[in-house]
Amino acid sequence: MQAVGTQRSRVWGARVLFLLPVSILFFFFFIYPFLFTIYTSFTSWRGIGSMKFNGLANYTKLLGDPTFRKALGNNVIWALSQGFIQVPLACLVAMILVRKPHFWRSLRTIYYLPNVISTVALAMVWVAIYNVEGPLNAILGALFGAEKRNWLGNPDTALFAVIFQTVIYIGYFMIILLASAMNIPRSLYEAAEIDGASTFQQELNITLPMLRGSLITTMTLAMAYGMRHFESTFLMTGGGPAYATTTMGIDLYLKMDALRYSEASTAGVFLILMGTVVITVLRKIFGSSDPMSEMAQ
Amino acid sequence: MKHYYASAQIIANLLKWILLVSLLAVALLPLLWLLVSSLRTNLELQTNPFGWPEKLQWVNYAKALAMASLPRLLLNSVVVAASAVILNSIVTAMASFILSRERFRGRDVLYTVFTAGVLVPVISFMVPYFSFITKSGLYNTLLALVLVYTAVNIPVSIFLVTAFMKSIPRELEEASVIDGCGFFKRFSVIILPLSRSGLVTAATFCFIYSWNEFLMAMLLTSSIESRTIQLGIKFFTSQFITDYASMYAAVIITIIPSIVGYVFLHDKIIGGLTAGGVKG
Repeated sequence: MQAVGTQRSRVWGARVLFLLPVSILFFFFFIYPFLFTIYTSFTSWRGIGSMKFNGLANYTKLLGDPTFRKALGNNVIWALSQGFIQVPLACLVAMILVRKPHFWRSLRTIYYLPNVISTVALAMVWVAIYNVEGPLNAILGALFGAEKRNWLGNPDTALFAVIFQTVIYIGYFMIILLASAMNIPRSLYEAAEIDGASTFQQELNITLPMLRGSLITTMTLAMAYGMRHFESTFLMTGGGPAYATTTMGIDLYLKMDALRYSEASTAGVFLILMGTVVITVLRKIFGSSDPMSEMAQ
Repeated sequence: MKHYYASAQIIANLLKWILLVSLLAVALLPLLWLLVSSLRTNLELQTNPFGWPEKLQWVNYAKALAMASLPRLLLNSVVVAASAVILNSIVTAMASFILSRERFRGRDVLYTVFTAGVLVPVISFMVPYFSFITKSGLYNTLLALVLVYTAVNIPVSIFLVTAFMKSIPRELEEASVIDGCGFFKRFSVIILPLSRSGLVTAATFCFIYSWNEFLMAMLLTSSIESRTIQLGIKFFTSQFITDYASMYAAVIITIIPSIVGYVFLHDKIIGGLTAGGVKG
């Protein structure tokens, strides 16, 4: 780019001009809020008036708050179930689809469909499905003669019910895993075939190790999403009954709604922190080098 | 050759299809149930949660659309989502051009900072967003939502569009420089048209997010004039309290744009997800 280099200052002016809109938006909606959240978490502030520094008071208060502790525990359950049930299931489906059974393209497209539908709409459907007089009880009653349950209204079943419905979003992780499974060289399987390895052995000794990198990626994503879960639970139960399904995000919202702004900010700091913990811990356990990323280069 | 495995193979095959079909059911049945329910009478819904409508009740859709607020809420959603998509496409195309085609110190740092935004849970920013939007006088305006949706999608869009622009061969650009194309011409005549596919992918993700978003809309707006359809079906359904069938019809109306968009653009969406996933 010799020709461009001669008009240095004009080019720099143009570069800055082109980066400016994104930088301004990024500053106001990512950097400033990030600093603001951390700052207000060390103050007592109720949305109006001055911010008084009060050290770690919000942190000790929040950690002693049974509602927040319940929320934190629920988020951990969310993260584990997403990472260790949702992702392995998605991986199993990807391993089936990569062998291109009939209709695999259509299946891939349909499995992802719920991810583009609004959570509000789907939450409404699930509330109806879980209703005492709803389809789920009707099916279970017809098949097993099971008693009718109030799935979302009972503290014993509510958390299970709100987590179970996430199975409809499995297509997201499946597509990522399927894409990298498709990148595995066919020659590896052909060689294994010649050596007499069964399909099961091939999956175990070729597919899974080759998917390692994408599995770590999807598990990290899934667990980070579990930590920041808000929407479908808020819409289905509002965090109830008796806080049985509350999450840090819901707790943050309710504290803010009660004008406890700096406590809400502190919950926000925990949300960011727990996401970071998930990412660092998974990196520490599994390391970041993997065959896939080497292949991608 | 594999006689011993024949029966095991049949069982494995069977299990495979049971899994695939159950997941298909899980993905589709809720939507089908919603569609069928929106065409039944309330009496039918009460007596049996399943079953086909005796007669298709299209009147439910007429009733839903006749609800005072529904057309207005739909219009708001269209305006917000379209504006966010356009604004996001323009600003990320400009920034991605610099981040992918220009060479200068700090470029990769800047790219990392912008894309690292995806790691931050935006819901933890409820307090600052609310306070900032209120202070700037944007509370309860469509503009507030347009700005938030545009900004929240920047990390994903920058990631997708920059990756796409990087894949354009340098020779094309160099030839244009020799032909006397300046900075702006290189952007508008060479890079922008060649990046159309990447921009459409980013725009699709931005549209899906903006059309479906619920929390920020709830937080930053308070009246029908600036609320979106997602809040409408959550909060204004009190109008439907005894008329579930019409409520389901209203919900179907709100998800039609997503489904239509998906039918036409699912290859772009799947391609976009793949771009992120394979590289990890």
